[in-house]
Amino acid sequence: MNLNTSILKYIEDVKSGSFTVEEFTSTTLQRIKDVDDDVHAYLSLNESAINDAKLIDQKISSGEKVGQCYGFPISIKDNICITNTKTTCASKILENFVAPYTATVVNRLQNEDAIITGKTNLDEFAMGLTTEFSAFGATKNPWNLKYVPGGSSGGSAASVAANECLASLGSDTGGSVRNPASFCSVVGLKPTYGLISRYGLISYANSIEQIGPMTKTVKDSAFLLNIIAGQDINDDTTIDNKNPNYLQGIEDGIEGKKIGIIKEMTSEGLSSEVSGATKEAIHDFETLGASCEEVSIPTIPYTVAAYYTITSTEAGSNLARYDNIRYGYDFESEGYEYNSYISKSRTKFGPEVTRRIILGGFVPSAGHAGKYFLKALKVKSKLISEVNDAFGNFDFLISPTAPVQPFQFGEKIDDPVTLMLLDYNTVTANLTGRPAISVPYRVVNGLPIGMQIMANNLEEQSLLQSAFALESKTQLPEVPL
Amino acid sequence: MVDEEEIIRVAELMKIDLEDHSEHVGRVKKMLEYFDILDQIDLSSEEITSQQKSLDELRKDEFIPNDKRLIESLKNFREHYVRAPKMN
Repeated sequence: MNLNTSILKYIEDVKSGSFTVEEFTSTTLQRIKDVDDDVHAYLSLNESAINDAKLIDQKISSGEKVGQCYGFPISIKDNICITNTKTTCASKILENFVAPYTATVVNRLQNEDAIITGKTNLDEFAMGLTTEFSAFGATKNPWNLKYVPGGSSGGSAASVAANECLASLGSDTGGSVRNPASFCSVVGLKPTYGLISRYGLISYANSIEQIGPMTKTVKDSAFLLNIIAGQDINDDTTIDNKNPNYLQGIEDGIEGKKIGIIKEMTSEGLSSEVSGATKEAIHDFETLGASCEEVSIPTIPYTVAAYYTITSTEAGSNLARYDNIRYGYDFESEGYEYNSYISKSRTKFGPEVTRRIILGGFVPSAGHAGKYFLKALKVKSKLISEVNDAFGNFDFLISPTAPVQPFQFGEKIDDPVTLMLLDYNTVTANLTGRPAISVPYRVVNGLPIGMQIMANNLEEQSLLQSAFALESKTQLPEVPL
Repeated sequence: MVDEEEIIRVAELMKIDLEDHSEHVGRVKKMLEYFDILDQIDLSSEEITSQQKSLDELRKDEFIPNDKRLIESLKNFREHYVRAPKMN
């Protein structure tokens, strides 16, 4: 049985009786057993996956109505809640936290008979770009185990790339779906802000983050979006997307479309491999009938600083709840004064989360807000108006997803500024609320390179068309694991 | 120039005990120094904008019953109360 298949092909095969849901599920679980000691994509597994599969097989054989997922296996980033299941955020402080309810996205998948394989690794509280900040050990890149898988949804990306599931849900605050998608050669979509419910996603910087699908093909991302997108009464920031079918017209091509090549994301700071791949992608877009032209968005060099200022501020507030009283209780309060008790409990936060909390106290504080936080909000406003102008002239804006290819463990972790700059090409979509997708484009020297396409608000349908068109120009090797 | 003592003071306010995290102060300082780039952009004509929703677009403020006693998932409760340390 070939586990390196798409969701759509899987559904076709189950419907035609090529294999049962149980057979595919148990082969997937065996694959996890075989490779996950090396990859470490998962933090926990769904013990009832085989039972879930049997129930769906019964539905199929008895002619009962089956949900449109037909039991395909999907992993879920471990900052998205599933009732009665551990949700750790890869943090010691939530090591034993069992979620009391299920996130809307997971509910929608389960209602359509998807099978959850397990919860995937991430940088602690989704803060990082390599999964090296996970309290439970880093995930390895299935393309080369000495290299980082990207982050923060590194476990999700690696689980898909290593054929340990057919798809995953990640979350993207500043590139956390797209960056690991690029590093592991899978498709990763950050939707328009408000397209997908965040109910049940543990908040880090809720004004800009979104849950997004990570899949082997662009069509699979469209398929997943059909299921998980749309308004949710439990998340007032969700918007009415009129429920389009994202698969409809996906093969229509991009003839006549206007593509802006973002100057600030393509002219400096790229590795020669990424730069070369970008030129080839531009050529491919032109071959597909689109016109490509450089466009400048002058505020982009200030976006990483603005992004970290805004997200740290929100993190400082969102993470105030982890105090060993409401969460993570593991020692008595007797003999402690209130503040020292909470401070002691918060030593369980790892180094990056600790730093972001300190930053999150500093940048919006009286005396410093004018220099940092208020300026960052103005940078965001200026960026939105420049991006609005760009979409007045172009249908899509493109760049490589990350300025570099995956790198080795330990290579960048000691330099906070270098790490921050890995977000350079991805934060603009978050700060402006725009949808953006990373499409696997090249594998150079055995390591993947992804291309990013950004579209205007709620233009996911045309964004997926353009991504499908680019995907159709690629022929990538299979993961060597 | 960011003052390290101020970072330590803010860390205390954020209930971060720096005895275990003293090495972070230098790294936070580096990040703050990078943020100085925000001084180089002209924002004099920019306003802070935000998305707004009217009250009638929001979910009704009504009680939704939950069949679980969530407090029972905590270890440090007695009847309807959570035990917390004393405040000075």
